[in-house]
Amino acid sequence: MTDVDLEELPLLETLDHLLDRGVIIAGEAVISIGDVDLLYLGLNVVLANVDAIIRTSQPKK
Amino acid sequence: MKAIVIGAHLLRDDIEPVAAAVGVGDLYLSTLEVPDDQPLGDRELLVKVAGLRGRLLDVATFVAIRYGFALSTPDDALAKCAPHLARWKRILTAHREHVEMTLKVVASSTLSRPDRHDFTSGAGYLRALHAARQAADVDPQFREAAERVLVPLAVRNHWQHRDEKSVELALLVPRDRLDDVKAAGEELRRTNPEIPFLLSGPWPLEVFADADRE
Repeated sequence: MTDVDLEELPLLETLDHLLDRGVIIAGEAVISIGDVDLLYLGLNVVLANVDAIIRTSQPKK
Repeated sequence: MKAIVIGAHLLRDDIEPVAAAVGVGDLYLSTLEVPDDQPLGDRELLVKVAGLRGRLLDVATFVAIRYGFALSTPDDALAKCAPHLARWKRILTAHREHVEMTLKVVASSTLSRPDRHDFTSGAGYLRALHAARQAADVDPQFREAAERVLVPLAVRNHWQHRDEKSVELALLVPRDRLDDVKAAGEELRRTNPEIPFLLSGPWPLEVFADADRE
């Protein structure tokens, strides 16, 4: 894990879950290039990191 | 004012008085009202919402809504949530006594995170980021050990790539097995002291609220 104060871990993990998990309601509009869905449109996901946006933009298998 | 949505719940009593409830069809959304000009990225607000999530989960299991969804009117809520309501009700009814736990494990094999400056296009960079995340893998012996001690305690489980450095096992577990899950985590730490991992939870329905993992 990254070098952080152990006391901060629960808060970091909690914020990670808050920002990076759960059902996305808005942002159903997806910008695609080629066969890869890249970005959600909508302000409700601007707090997610780029990896999270890519992950949620992946076509369902 | 606008209302930040925290989760979708089966009953109004699952929300009040911890948070404000907004009815949507047969279900209820837990919300927190904030001024219209309140930046959603404010640290204190994030911590407050995270705290409310925890308190709501103490009352009853709910479907977690990704932070950032805010309502201006109750009609707005119904319009945006209508496509999900039937599925949420099914999930909430089926998993009322279940919560999620996550085991985040440092990957044993990784690709380094790509450098944006090495790419001429944004699309190429994003594809490389995705490839780096998918390349992360867990030590096979640890994966086997984790599955041996944790999976039998869960009603559902799912390995997923989180980023280019970690992989995560999400578990859907009965509330009355939480102590057993924590004990299994301690056993895993004792038997695999060289593998860094973080077992955390309980969390609301996040991974298993996904339509593909019902």
